[in-house]
Amino acid sequence: MSFDDFKLFYVLACVSLGLIILSPTLAMVIRLPAGERFSELWILGSGHMAEDYPFNVKTGETYKVYLGVSDHMGALEYYMVCLKFRNGTESLPDTVNGTPSNLTPILEYRLFLEDNETWEREVSFSFEGVSFEGNMCKVSHIIIDGYSVGVDKVASWDEDEHGFYFQLFFELWIYNTDASKFQYHNRFVGIWLNMTRSL
Amino acid sequence: MFKFKIVACLVLMLLVFSWLMQACSAVDRSVAEEALVNAESGLASAYVAVAEAEGAGANVSELIVKLEAAGNLLAEANNSYRLGDYDEAYSYAVNCSDTVEGLASEASGLKLNAERAYGEGLRLTAALSSGGLIVLFVLSLYFWKFLKERYFKRVLKMKPEVGKAE
Repeated sequence: MSFDDFKLFYVLACVSLGLIILSPTLAMVIRLPAGERFSELWILGSGHMAEDYPFNVKTGETYKVYLGVSDHMGALEYYMVCLKFRNGTESLPDTVNGTPSNLTPILEYRLFLEDNETWEREVSFSFEGVSFEGNMCKVSHIIIDGYSVGVDKVASWDEDEHGFYFQLFFELWIYNTDASKFQYHNRFVGIWLNMTRSL
Repeated sequence: MFKFKIVACLVLMLLVFSWLMQACSAVDRSVAEEALVNAESGLASAYVAVAEAEGAGANVSELIVKLEAAGNLLAEANNSYRLGDYDEAYSYAVNCSDTVEGLASEASGLKLNAERAYGEGLRLTAALSSGGLIVLFVLSLYFWKFLKERYFKRVLKMKPEVGKAE
């Protein structure tokens, strides 16, 4: 090894040692970029699995699903979950433009989650005032978590799928501190329900 | 007959009284709306303060429990309002406002403490690092001097070798 090589090696060793000594201070000052930030929203069936979702429904029966939200945004977040009910022709959220459905929520949940925290709750629902007339089915009330909400939704007979289809879906909204308001978080989940006659 | 009239009067008075009580306690839509707006803004301000405190490194777990309780109350208030139950909506909204009262200032206090603790920690760490760097610099100079002397001594002790001419 030449003298110049040895000198360079010595300087590099000293600089490395200096960086090691400085590292606790650097760690306190430098914020490394976080990973991808996102939120999760899901519904599970009555067995707490992604199966056995209510599908063929009728009056007088109570159905349940599990609704869950998980925060991976890197900080404490303020969420609102809006529950909406629609027939097959009414609007769904637009995932391309990130806009929510224009339907009025029938129920809402509010939650605060820290980073990597998960929230889950059971949502039970049943139907009241269901009537069938010709190829139309009308649902007057949905009872959800003890609230009897008037919905007055009409679905016509679906020739292809052979049923009267309604959809119960949940939209995730997040509080934007810069705008000081809730904004649709471009996430929704839902289940299709085929309304059947009670025997 | 007289007894019957007294009983009828009492019943009538009771009915009027109960109607009046109900009318007095009933909350109209605008009052419920105002309570909801107040609760909404109170909760949002509390959330922003708690989030800032959390970002500063404060332990906000107790405040989050209060935020969750207030959030549930506000959701119940909005759900009741949508159903036209303004009494319930008002009651929940007022409860929500009560729950978050003082939360923002508490969070601001925790944030200040956390920032102070962070500043002190940073100063201490920076001082230790600076001390370490100064020691490293001085020692490295001495060590370099020692190594250089040793290197040259070794070079000077070397004997030239005579190679074979090809």
